[in-house]
Amino acid sequence: MQSVRNVSRSNLSFEPARLRRTVLDMAYAGQTVHIGCAFSIIELLAVLYRKHLRFSPTDPRSPDRDLLVLSKGHGVMAQYACMHEIGWIDDQAVSGYFADGSTLKGLSDSRVPGLEVTSGSLGHGLSIAVGMALGARIDGSDRRVFAIVGDGEMNEGPNWEAMLFAAQQKLSNLVVIVDENGFQAMGRTDEIIGLGDMAAKFTTFGFDAVTIDGHDEAAIDQTLSAFRSDGSQRPKAIVARTVKGRGVPFMENNNIWHYTRLNEQTYRDAIAAIGGDQA
Amino acid sequence: MRQAFSDSLVRIADADPRVLLLTGDHGYALFDAFRKAHPDRYINAGIAEQNMVGMAAGLARMGFRPFVYGLSAFVPVRVLEQIKLDVAHDDLPVIFVGDGAGFVYSHLGTSHQSLEDIACIRAIPGMTVLSPADRHELTAAMDHAHASGRSVYLRMGKADLGDVHTPETTVDVTRFQCLRPGREGGTVILATGPIATTAVRVADQVEGAAVWSIPSIKPFDTAALATICQTAGRLVTMEEHSVMGGFGSLVTEEVSALHPLPVLRIGVQDRFSEHCGSYDYLLREHGLDLDTVTARVAAFDARA
Repeated sequence: MQSVRNVSRSNLSFEPARLRRTVLDMAYAGQTVHIGCAFSIIELLAVLYRKHLRFSPTDPRSPDRDLLVLSKGHGVMAQYACMHEIGWIDDQAVSGYFADGSTLKGLSDSRVPGLEVTSGSLGHGLSIAVGMALGARIDGSDRRVFAIVGDGEMNEGPNWEAMLFAAQQKLSNLVVIVDENGFQAMGRTDEIIGLGDMAAKFTTFGFDAVTIDGHDEAAIDQTLSAFRSDGSQRPKAIVARTVKGRGVPFMENNNIWHYTRLNEQTYRDAIAAIGGDQA
Repeated sequence: MRQAFSDSLVRIADADPRVLLLTGDHGYALFDAFRKAHPDRYINAGIAEQNMVGMAAGLARMGFRPFVYGLSAFVPVRVLEQIKLDVAHDDLPVIFVGDGAGFVYSHLGTSHQSLEDIACIRAIPGMTVLSPADRHELTAAMDHAHASGRSVYLRMGKADLGDVHTPETTVDVTRFQCLRPGREGGTVILATGPIATTAVRVADQVEGAAVWSIPSIKPFDTAALATICQTAGRLVTMEEHSVMGGFGSLVTEEVSALHPLPVLRIGVQDRFSEHCGSYDYLLREHGLDLDTVTARVAAFDARA
């Protein structure tokens, strides 16, 4: 598997501007929303797919793959963009997003090869990820589980149940990534259910936790690498400080892009902002 | 019935190394045998049912065969969305065992009484819903649930009401179980769960009444019901569950399409328990005691 990964990934750059371009193409084609929360996790996904996730480019359901659980299913277009890079999603699925009878939905759906969970109802994914990590450990497998949760999603109680259980079981094969973009549906998280210092909370719950810039690819890579080799028996958490709508200035930290659809002008403007047709 | 549950669980786990047991910190002493036989396959998920069901889904995705045990007030009702999205959506092989269904926790009040679980769970696509009447049906239900490899809810009601089958009986839980043949054109009682023991005693006093136990609510043997309707004069359904959305509703839905007949639905009306007391007391409060049910069935049977 190791050699397969290195060879087959050599052409896969998961370049963030390209991923954002795919998201814009899908959002415009499907006239859909949730662009901001897809853009905040682009670099996180890029680094995971580029270097840290074990997968088979030819088989999204290969039995020894690592598991990426997108619990904040609203950001699924970012994951579709990565899957498009790999070839699990074809151009037609991008240009035909949301066409009647199409397969790719507006939220993560486990029936789509490459996606592990059905999410969007928030607070589900982390528990599933903990079950997967427990299963891998029972099997003596080296498969790892990465769960991406939103900061707004941390309002949901089952996340905290899952954190307690993961720490109790010392699931060191679990990495939780909190996309801390500071917003939830109706406004700023600190004005709705303030989360305070998330890394401190994870640490108190028994995790190894760090806070990083969630758009700094080198920092993401370095943190994931360090977690892999630190020998700690605790589960891991990355609190990724991100910007909702990152990459398109008129979308950044503007929560209206949780709900707004692109028109021809904003689509063109957004493409120009991420580097035009070079992206 | 609880002993049969414990025995079945150990036996199934002996034969299948992928079987795990998850409990939401419930089942004291019930799992002694399992813990002794398979200590490494016993997972107490703590008092955190939502996480427990999500974890069961994750474990099933990793190739395990989890049994998830809880009180039926919590599993499935508290975790209905986790069952729907995390488990049933992909028909993962997770078996949910809801113990103490109905009025079993009669003294504890509304939080522990479960009278809406069938209505909730049967609306979820693809779920198998089993409701055994006695230890023989329970044992067969456990084996069927595991062999099916599908998402299953197994409803365990009052466990000490005795048997409706003889030890020699081989139960196929997917089929209607004839407990008492009746006369043509007469009253046919269809019961699910341990209240079938009451149904048999009612039939002792209503001449010609037939009694069937229906351990599989979903899939439901519509063909068997159609056959019964050909010769029945009227139907009575019995369940320790709300009359809204449960077994009686199911029978009525089917009968209305197949072969319309008068149907008397005996169950819990649309209200919570007012008082606390013994199990028998609560049955009386809700009109599910033998005398009340017998009187209702006899009056219904006397209709032209």
